[in-house]
Amino acid sequence: MNPGISKPSSVTRRQFLRDGARAAGLAGLGGLLGLVAERSTAKGTVWQIDPQKCVRCGNCALYCVLEQSAVKCVHAYALCGYCQLCTGYFEPDPNDLNTGAENCLCPTSAIKRTYIEDPYYEYTIDEQLCIGCAKCVEGCHRFGNGSLFLQVRHDRCLNCNECAIAKVCAGDAFRRVPADQPYLLKTDTF
Amino acid sequence: MNPAESILTRRRFLVGTARAAGLLAAGGSTVSWLRAASPGRDANPFALDVERLQHTDPKLIHYEQVARFQGCAPDPRRIAVGPDDRVYIAAANAVTILDCNGRLISEIACAAPVRCVAVAAEGTVYVGVKDHVETFDRTGQRLATWPSSGRRTWLTGLAAGEKDVFAADSGNRCVLRYDKAGKLLGRIAERNKDRHLPGLVVPSPYLDVKLAPDGLLRVNNTGRHRVEAYTVDGDLEFFWGRPSAGIEGFCGCCNPVGLALLPDGRHVTCEKGLPRVKVYSPKGVFESVVAGTETFYENAKTGALKTRSDGLVGGLDAAVDSQQRIYILDLVANDVRIMQRKA
Amino acid sequence: MALLWLLSAVASLAEQRFPPPDFEGGHQLPVTTTPPARALTLDYLDVGVLGLSLGLAIWLVYRRRSRKGLIVLSIFSLLYFGFWRHGCVCAIGSLQNVALALGDRSYALPLAVLAFFVLPLAVAIFAGRIFCAGVCPHGALQDLVLLKPLKVPPGLEAALSVLPFLYLGAGVLFAATGSAFIICEYDPFVPVFRLSGRALMVLSGAALLGLSIFVGRPYCRFLCPYGALLKLAAAVAKWRVRVTPDNCTQCRLCEASCPFGAMREPQARPGTQTHARDRRRLGWLLLLLPLLLAGGGWLGYRFSAPASRLHPTVSLADLLIRAQGSPPKIGALTPDDLALERARQAPQEILAAAAAIQRRFAIGGWIFGAWVGLVFGVKLISVSVHRPRTDYEPDSGDCFACARCFEYCPNELVRRGVIPATTLTAAAPEISGPPGLDRS
Repeated sequence: MNPGISKPSSVTRRQFLRDGARAAGLAGLGGLLGLVAERSTAKGTVWQIDPQKCVRCGNCALYCVLEQSAVKCVHAYALCGYCQLCTGYFEPDPNDLNTGAENCLCPTSAIKRTYIEDPYYEYTIDEQLCIGCAKCVEGCHRFGNGSLFLQVRHDRCLNCNECAIAKVCAGDAFRRVPADQPYLLKTDTF
Repeated sequence: MNPAESILTRRRFLVGTARAAGLLAAGGSTVSWLRAASPGRDANPFALDVERLQHTDPKLIHYEQVARFQGCAPDPRRIAVGPDDRVYIAAANAVTILDCNGRLISEIACAAPVRCVAVAAEGTVYVGVKDHVETFDRTGQRLATWPSSGRRTWLTGLAAGEKDVFAADSGNRCVLRYDKAGKLLGRIAERNKDRHLPGLVVPSPYLDVKLAPDGLLRVNNTGRHRVEAYTVDGDLEFFWGRPSAGIEGFCGCCNPVGLALLPDGRHVTCEKGLPRVKVYSPKGVFESVVAGTETFYENAKTGALKTRSDGLVGGLDAAVDSQQRIYILDLVANDVRIMQRKA
Repeated sequence: MALLWLLSAVASLAEQRFPPPDFEGGHQLPVTTTPPARALTLDYLDVGVLGLSLGLAIWLVYRRRSRKGLIVLSIFSLLYFGFWRHGCVCAIGSLQNVALALGDRSYALPLAVLAFFVLPLAVAIFAGRIFCAGVCPHGALQDLVLLKPLKVPPGLEAALSVLPFLYLGAGVLFAATGSAFIICEYDPFVPVFRLSGRALMVLSGAALLGLSIFVGRPYCRFLCPYGALLKLAAAVAKWRVRVTPDNCTQCRLCEASCPFGAMREPQARPGTQTHARDRRRLGWLLLLLPLLLAGGGWLGYRFSAPASRLHPTVSLADLLIRAQGSPPKIGALTPDDLALERARQAPQEILAAAAAIQRRFAIGGWIFGAWVGLVFGVKLISVSVHRPRTDYEPDSGDCFACARCFEYCPNELVRRGVIPATTLTAAAPEISGPPGLDRS
C-alpha cells in the first residue's frame, strides 16, 4: 500500500466529524459559560476571618502556606480598656507588671506596651513579629473586652484558591469576602 | 528504537496499566507514610492554659448549692433580692421577678435594655436602663422616670438606701447619688487630686455599688482590682484587694465584677474570666469560697463571654437574702444558684 | 453634607459599645490599619497578560515556528504567572472554582478566574494546546529543566495518560461538593513558586522537578487535570502542529524528536484479516462499555462515604457522633475540642448538613465511578482503533506545541534558509505551495 496516497473521502469524513465535534465543544463551553456567568461576580474575593466566629484555636499560626502566617492580631482600640494589667499582654498570673519576657504572653514579643497616662496603657501589635497564634486574643477575650482579634492581612495574604487555614479552622470562621471590603473589623458600634 | 516497540497495543496498554497501578500504589503508600511520620498537630502549642487556675482547694469551699433554677429572660445582667426574698433579675428589656424557687411572679417591662436593679426595704424597685433610672412600686406600677445624668452615662449597678439611691456609672467612672425623688445630689469616687481620690478604672461596664451595714458604700474599682469604701459624701475611707489569679486575689484585667454584702458586713465578690464567688471579711481578708471556677462549666470555658450589642458580657453577679443565703446569677448559662453555708 | 448626616444617622441607630476612657491628656485613639487587598485592575491585568501570551504563543507556533521564541515566552510566563503571581490564579485550579460555582449556588465566581478557565480552552479548540506550549508556568518550569529526555514505554505511557482524567473527575467531585480543592492542595509546583509550603508538598515538588529532567513534563502528561480538558479540546482543533512546513518526505528524521511521546508514525491500513479481528474485538469492547460504566459507578458509590470525610462538616459530624456521651473538657482545648464545642451548640444542624453533603457525595460517587469506567473503556477502544496515517505527525491531543520537532525537519531547515533547497530535491521532487496552517 502506498502511504503517500490516502482516500479523500475518509479525510473529508474525518474533517466533517472534527468540525462537528469542534462546534459541539464550543457550544458546550458556551453553555457552561452561560451557566456559570450568571453566578459570577466582576469583583474578586479574598479570605477573611469573622472575629465573632473565631475560637482562637491556634491553627492560623500553623497552617498558612506562608513561612509566617498572613493572619495577624489587630487591635480595635475603641473597644480597649487600656488596662494596666492587660490579660492579652501579661501571663494570667504575672510576677510583676513590667515588660519582662517571663511575664508576657506573646511568644514572639509582638505586642508593644506604651504608657499613655495614669493608669492607662496602650497596646499595639508589631506585625513583623506577630505570627497570628491568637494567644493574646484568647487572653483578651477570656478576661477582657475582646478588643484584640485576628484578621487576614491582605498585604501578606496570597489569596490562595483554597485557604489552607480555612480548611482546618476549628470555628469555621473563614469566609470569602468582596475584595473591596476585605476586613471584618470589630468596631465601637454594633 | 524498533518501531514495532513504539506501537501501542491493547496488551501493552493493559500491562502498562498494571505497572502504573503498582507505581501509584508505591507512591501513595510513600506519601501516606510520610504523612504519618510527620509530627501531628493535635494540640494547640499556643493555648492559653488556665487549667491549673480552674481548680479550687475543696477545704476553702464553705458553701453548698441548695437550689438552682433557670432565668426567664435572655441576656441577664444583675440580680437583687428584695423583701420577702423575691429575686429580681435585670435581663433583656425587663426585670423578671421570681420567688426563691425560680417561679416567675411578675415582670416589669422597659423600653430599653435593663442593665441593673435594686430594691429598697419598703419594696420600691429601682431599675437602671442604660443612662437613667426608672422606679416602680412593689406591684410593678411605674412611679417615675428620672432624667439622664449625662452623655456618657452607662449605669451598671444600683443600691438603694433609706434616703438615697446610688447608681454606678461605668461610662463616667463614678457613682451617682440621687435622693429618692431622683434629684442628683453628687458624684462619688470621681478622680480628684484635691480630695486624694485616685479615681475608678473601669475597662468594661461592670461597675457596681452596694451600701454596707456600716453606712459606707462599697464600689468595685475593677481596673485596680480593689473594693473601695466611700462615705455617701464621697470620701474614700479604705480599700482592699489585689490582682492575682490565685484564689485570694482578683483575676484578669478587671475584677471583681459584682458585689454583695452579708448582714455582718462581710463582702461577697464575683469574678469573670475565672468565674468564682468568694467571701472576704469586712476588712477585706479572704475567708472562703462560695463557688469555684469548676462550678460554672459554661462560664469558665474559652470564649464564654458573649458578644452583646454593648460589649463582651459574661461573669457572675450575686445577692444575699434574709437567711444569708447567696444567690449567684450566671450571666452565660443564665441560671441562678442558691448557695448556703455548710453546717 | 448629606453624606455626613447619613453617616451620623446610621451611627445613632447602631448601639454604641462601651467606650474607652476619656484621656485627660487628650490622647487620640489610633486607627486600626487595613492594608487593601490586591487591586481588581491587577486581576484583569493577569487576564490581559494571559490573553496576550496565548496570542503570542499561537503566532510563535504557527507563523514563526520558533522554538527560541517559545523558550523566551516560557521564561516570561514562569516568572510572571509562577514566581511573581505565586502560581495563583491558574487555569489548572480554576476548573475547581467553576465546578464549585456549578455545585454551590451561593458561591460567586470571580470573572477573572472564569476567564482563566475559558481562554486556554477556547484557544485549544482552534489551535491545540497552545496554553501548555509557553503560557502555563507549570509546563514552562518542567519544559525548561528537561535536559535528557528518556522514552516512556508506550504501554505505561498510555496507562499513565489516563490519570489526568481520573484526577479531573476527583477534583471536580471534591470541588463541586464544597469539600476541598485537592488540585490546589496537592499542586507540586506552587510550593516551588512560593519558595515555601508544607514539607510534604515541597518534597514532592522537588521530586517531580528532578524527574522532569529525564521524563518530559511528567505533571502535564500524567497528572494535570486541566491538561485532560485541553487534550479533549485539542483533539478537535482546527489548526494543528505539523512537523513539516511543507510536504513530508518520509525522511524519519523527526521520529525521535518528541520528548513527550506525542509523535505518531505513519500507519498502514491493516489487512482485511486483522481488520475483521479488530472489528470483532471493538464490538466486544463497545458491549463492555456499559458494564464498565455501571461497575465503576457502583464502586464510586461504595467509596463515597469515606471520601465525604474530606468535607470539614462531615468530619466534624463524625467527631460529634464519636464524642457522644463523653463529658465536655475544661482547660486547654485542642482545635478538635473547640470544633466539637461549636458542633455541640447546634448538633442537629451539623448532623443534618453532614447528611445532606453525604447524599450529594453518593450521587457524585456514582457519577465519578461511571466517569472512571468511561475513561478506561474509551481508552481501551481508542487503543483498538487503528487510524491509517501517512506522515509523521504529532497527536494533536498529546502535543504540547513546544516546537521542538520543527528543527528536525529538513523542509523546515530549507524554509529557514539553514540548508539550500537543492539538497532536498532528490528526495522530494514535489516541493511546492506555501507553508499552510490548515492541513489535517
